[in-house]
Parts: sequence; structure tokens; C-alpha cells
Amino acid sequence: MSERRSVLITGASKGIGAATAERFMAADNGVTDLILLARESAEFTATQERLHAGNPHGKAIRPYYVDLADRARTVGVLKDVMAEVGRVDILVNNAGYTSPRAFQQVEFADFERTMAVNLYAPFTLVQELLHNGNTFELIVNIASTAGMAGRPGWLTYSASKAALITMSEVMKEELAIYGTRVVCISPGRCATDLRKTLAPDEDPTTIMQPEDVAGVIEMLTTDVGRFVDSRNLVVRL
Amino acid sequence: MRGRKLYSLILLNGGIGSRVAAGQPKQFVSVNGLPIIVYSLVAADAVDEIDEIILNYPEGWRDDVEKLVVDYAVRKPVTYAPAGATRHESVRSLLPLARNEHVLLHETARPLVTAADFRRLIASPHDNVSFMLPIPFTVAPVDPATGKVTGHLERDRLRNVQLPQKYRLSDLADAHAYAEANGLIFTEDGTLATVAGKDVYFLDGADRNFKVTTATDVRLAGFLLGGDDEGE
Repeated sequence: MSERRSVLITGASKGIGAATAERFMAADNGVTDLILLARESAEFTATQERLHAGNPHGKAIRPYYVDLADRARTVGVLKDVMAEVGRVDILVNNAGYTSPRAFQQVEFADFERTMAVNLYAPFTLVQELLHNGNTFELIVNIASTAGMAGRPGWLTYSASKAALITMSEVMKEELAIYGTRVVCISPGRCATDLRKTLAPDEDPTTIMQPEDVAGVIEMLTTDVGRFVDSRNLVVRL
Repeated sequence: MRGRKLYSLILLNGGIGSRVAAGQPKQFVSVNGLPIIVYSLVAADAVDEIDEIILNYPEGWRDDVEKLVVDYAVRKPVTYAPAGATRHESVRSLLPLARNEHVLLHETARPLVTAADFRRLIASPHDNVSFMLPIPFTVAPVDPATGKVTGHLERDRLRNVQLPQKYRLSDLADAHAYAEANGLIFTEDGTLATVAGKDVYFLDGADRNFKVTTATDVRLAGFLLGGDDEGE
């Protein structure tokens, strides 16, 4: 089979992004190229080493180093992706950022960074790739249950995820002309670094794991995933 | 693929719809959130046999039309031309721009067209074919001047003419030359080609593929395109 099928995962260095990359690496699902976006870090390097170590289907691992808050650089990286891989069939908008503060303590620059990573980056990825002539098979936007109801201390994060949920609804309607499926997932408490920032005192072994969410994302790419048509798929323990 | 016919799509986009859109041509009217023209472009873009699109624009709106083609990353090469004074004139002026021996004809005011519709037309063994719809009501011939009904029409032998259509380019060009020589103006090309002596065939069309001309049509098309019409 020479036909290539690619998945692009943002925030692939750790947490749900890395777990999703590992799921796609292990799965015999026709995906030939894993396009991984993250900032340069020791964790990202380690994730790539782990992926190379267990690669039973000989998939290509293509890392791109980018801070998704940097829109100009993100646009450049997407041009590189299209030039080098040629297509993005499945897009997982996973990268997330938070710095929880009470309302009166929110630094505006930090609010802007939260919106840039959590909202504008998924927008830019989809719009730029469309403008480059790419049509997607599936787009998975990772929002959060925190975007479904505001919580004290999480203003910037909740607001960004609420916006991502509604943006996903619009994308789903508008991209139907290409036959693209758009699914928004809202994980509840999940043992990631981001969760540690939001809830430092919680024992991460007692809550949902990144691998569990990755399993749901992989399910969406399978034949049975076609039957999941939820405006916001809540994944929680 | 060897032996496969390639088609030029002539996409009519010229008419100003004063009834639907305030202050802008109806080509930019939003149907289910997208400019109406986008639906025809995306459907055509998915058809391998179409290798070029010839698109006209209302006077003064070329930049806007070009921007939409870029924004929606239409892959087929697009040739732009100004709209004529009438639909008849627009078609005639666009024919010389087509580089293939076979052309498809469509209008952006029918956003519910699908790639499958174009493929069905292409698959017909005939050169000149139009989608047409049976008429579910009775049509009477009248004399508007006297206010009298003048006879009876057999509705089984009448069809509602739709788009898209396909033609052998030389047949359609001949038909337009015939109309010009005889001072005839037609509102569509299937009957024009027939009157000019060409064989034109019809395929049963779909009632979904209606022409959006009124504000009510815009809402109905939006409802159908929204995908919530399955009784759920």
C-alpha cells in the first residue's frame, strides 16, 4: 500500500498528545506519518526516542519544533509540513496552556497566551492547512469540561476552552462540504502536567490517565468512530 | 486515464438578485453560513473529469470572487470573465474561453448540486444532456393580453429545466450562432440547442437541486444543507 495517511498532533511532547502519538504508532490503522508539533524540550526528545523504539509498522515520525503562541512561526511550520508531507488527514488539536489566577490577578499577557495556544492555534492550523489546499478526514479538538462551566480561579482556561467548544461546532458545520468530521472532546480530570498546574494537591494516580483519552481519540479514527457524532464528547472517569 | 473525456465547467455567477441580497449580488449571499458560490466550486473541485472552471462575475465584483476562490483553495484552474447583460449573452461570451470539446454548464444559484450530479451527467452516453424534473402540477397556456386560457398542456410531456447540463462545445456554439442569426433570446440552453436542431436528452433531476431566488429559498437551502433534514 503506497497511499499515505498522516496524523498531526499538537502538544505531542507529553500528556494526552504523547499518549495519542504512542497509540497511533502502535496501531495498524493505515496511518503512515506522525507529524508531531511541540516546543523543543527534553520531554519531546524522550517521547520521540520512545516512539522510535517501538515502531512495529515502520511509520515515519516527523517532529516540528514550534511554540503555538507564535502565529507567524506556526504558519511557517505548516507550510513546511505541506511541502514535506503533502497532506494532513487527521488533525488532533491537543496543545493546551494554563496559568490559573483569580480574576483580579490575571495578567493580560497571560490571558493572551492562553487564548493564543488554546484557541487561535487550532484556528490557525485548520485555516492555514485549508488555504494550502488540504482537506481533512477528521479534526479532533481537545477542549475541557472546564470549558462547559466556569470555575473560580480558572478564568482564562475556562474561557479559552468554552470558545474552543463553540468554534468546533462551527467548524463541524462549515467543513461538512468537504466531508470532514469534526469532533470536540472535553476530558475531565486527567493526569497531565496541565492538571497538576490546575490542581496541585491531587493524587494523579486516582484520576483518568492520558492513555485513556488517547484511546478515545484513536477510536474516533476507526470505522466505529464514524458513528460518534457529538457536539462535545465528554470523557471523564 | 486514457480516453477519458475532460470537461470545462462554465459556472454562471453573473445575475444580480435584487430580491435576496441588500446591496450585494446574490452570489455573496450566505447559505448556512457560507457564500452560496462556494458550494458549486467545492462540488466541481471534487470531480476529476473537470479540469477547468470558467467563472463569470458581476461588474465590479471580480476581486471578491477571486478572493473566495483563493480562500476556499479551489484546485482547478479558474478563468474569470465579466457577466453579460443577459444569461443568454453570458453563456455565449463564455463558450470561446473553454479549452475542452465538452462543457458542463451550472449556476451558482443552485448550491445543492453535488459532485455526484456532475458525474451522472458525465456518465450519460449522449453529448447534450440536462437534468430535468417532472412537473407535479398542471401548467396552462394563456394569452396574457386577453386574459384567456388558450388550451391544454400534457404535464407528462413537460419538464422543469434544471442545471447542471452538459454539451458538446461545437453544438452549443452552433446553437448560439443560430439564435444570433435569428434574433432569438433564450432563458436556458437545452431548449435553445433543441430549437437549433441539436439532439438534447434529459436525466431526471432532484427536487433538492432548486434555484435559490427568494429569501425563502435561502432559508430552505440552508435548512437542507445543514444536514438536519433526516427527521431526527
